[in-house]
Amino acid sequence: MTRIGEIIETMSTGFVAESFELNHPPALGSLVVVRLPGAGLVSSTRQGGEGAGIDLYAVVTYGQTAGIDPSRRAVRRSTDEVFDGAIYQHNPELERTLRTEFGAALVGFGRSGRVHQHLPSQLPPLHFSVQEPTSDEVVRFTERLQYLRLLATPYLASGPVSSAGQVPPLQVLSANVRWVYEARGGDRVWLDGAAREIAMLLKSDYEALLTVLYAIEPAESVGTLEGS
Amino acid sequence: MPLKLGPISSQVRRMAQALADQSPLQEAYLHQARQRLRNADVDQLRAKLERHLLRQPRFPWLVAKPLDAGLGFYQQGLAGTSKAPPAPAEFTVIGTDGSSIPPDRHSPVRYFVLNVGYALLTYGPQPNALLDTQSRLCFEDKDLYVFPERRDGAIEGVLFAAQMEAESLRVLREVVPDNSRPTVVLRDGPLTLWTLQNEKDNVQRALLRDLLEGMSFLRERGIPLGGYVSFTGSRDVTNSLRVWLCEGQPNQCEGCTSPDHDLCQALAALRDRDLFAYLEEGERSELFAGSSQILKAYGDQWVDFFYANVGGEVARVEVPRWVSLNAEQLGLLHAVIHDQCQRSPGFPPYPPALLEAHEQAVITMSERGLVDKMVEQALGQLGYPVIRSAKDDSKRRRGV
Repeated sequence: MTRIGEIIETMSTGFVAESFELNHPPALGSLVVVRLPGAGLVSSTRQGGEGAGIDLYAVVTYGQTAGIDPSRRAVRRSTDEVFDGAIYQHNPELERTLRTEFGAALVGFGRSGRVHQHLPSQLPPLHFSVQEPTSDEVVRFTERLQYLRLLATPYLASGPVSSAGQVPPLQVLSANVRWVYEARGGDRVWLDGAAREIAMLLKSDYEALLTVLYAIEPAESVGTLEGS
Repeated sequence: MPLKLGPISSQVRRMAQALADQSPLQEAYLHQARQRLRNADVDQLRAKLERHLLRQPRFPWLVAKPLDAGLGFYQQGLAGTSKAPPAPAEFTVIGTDGSSIPPDRHSPVRYFVLNVGYALLTYGPQPNALLDTQSRLCFEDKDLYVFPERRDGAIEGVLFAAQMEAESLRVLREVVPDNSRPTVVLRDGPLTLWTLQNEKDNVQRALLRDLLEGMSFLRERGIPLGGYVSFTGSRDVTNSLRVWLCEGQPNQCEGCTSPDHDLCQALAALRDRDLFAYLEEGERSELFAGSSQILKAYGDQWVDFFYANVGGEVARVEVPRWVSLNAEQLGLLHAVIHDQCQRSPGFPPYPPALLEAHEQAVITMSERGLVDKMVEQALGQLGYPVIRSAKDDSKRRRGV
């Protein structure tokens, strides 16, 4: 079990978690899991029992690093000699005064060996751990592609408008497809299936569909960006 | 709007103009004053100050007394400077700062809260930071009175402020790490609790106990302590210079015919931070002994001080005598203060250990309200009616 964060805000559609590692939230679009013992799950005092546990799956929608105290904004700290990673060596208090958080949208859950790709009936409890799923879990959860609809919902509901600082929903969707493709070992068949699913979702919005298709196309080697 | 900003605005402009008008003249006097500081004879100045202090135990000014030159001080005279030595490759700096919820006479029960924030920052190959607080609700007679057995000497006002200051050193026993790494403790504010100087001896002793024990603890551990005062308003050295210039009785200026009269009067408006503005970045001044009456209660932990250009301002650093007399500890303290200020993201710089200690110590309005509520709830659960003063109640309601 690899714990990567702790839930600090929660709602029926997703949660915000504080990352255990500063500046290293899980990858945009990656799948994360919150494991709940027992069935009822929301009571913080309940420790298992009452039926099988539930694994809630969510896709990372953004990451952000800022001061723990919202009234203290980060300020420039670099000098000619001390910059980038050395700033953290030079100012050890930063590890305690900054925090990295990430948001995740719920895309389904697993219970009793079955995968469900719709929102769970209960929200994930505050302060529970966010974990990395196992490779098998990623494969199992992404066998079906209906969860992509949940990721596309914000776009389908509101269009391309997103508030400042928010990752546009289609970019989250694309990031997830890229991440799953890699996590499944470059599974081209899966990628083609995902592209077809997305084509159905965005059939009435050609420009949006192209945006996603371009973004999920596996990168080809075309030399380094720095040129020849 | 109750505050009439119209007249205030024109007065602000006049105030700024007055400052600007004085500036060239002050520069000339500052130049003269530094010259006098450079040329002053250390032994003669000390003797003159001691003579006056003996004649007038309650000397009207705080003055800076030169230490014993025989111990290696003042090799370049009173205006001597020392560059900050390089900081060790690996060291720890601990900053402490305090805040409080003071006793509230409108509250149905008497209590206060002392909150000490501290930052333990370790630099070197394995940098680390520990930021935390120690919070204490004081409600027993032994906390609320200087003399609990007869419920005398209520801890409030000046005594409460002193208690708060002492608390920031009391917690060090539990905070200072047990390792061999060079370590320095910085306290926000002076070590000289001069506000206690008008209290009776036994009150002074009681309130200084925690502070002096905290200082002794650091002395035993070989950890230098500095009381860091940013943007100091002190005039100890300029006052000593005035005594040096004075041919009669200081502070009895009527009818003074000294040729230095104008310089002396100009010095009255200057602060030590102006006088020591000649220090280069990273340099510190010579050490001087404080002369506050309260220091007599400090025993062998008399407080000395120096000024340091930390790069943007001249700060005052107060140290116990055992640091003054230990060149290695004094050098480490100076080096760490300089290093801290170089690490500061702000300008003028401020030691990050003190900044973070302050951030930890702060008690927000909502936290204050929460403690208030907790007390009321606890009393309510035991059936005690929660009655606040009518005045406080009317301020809370603020009805129109």
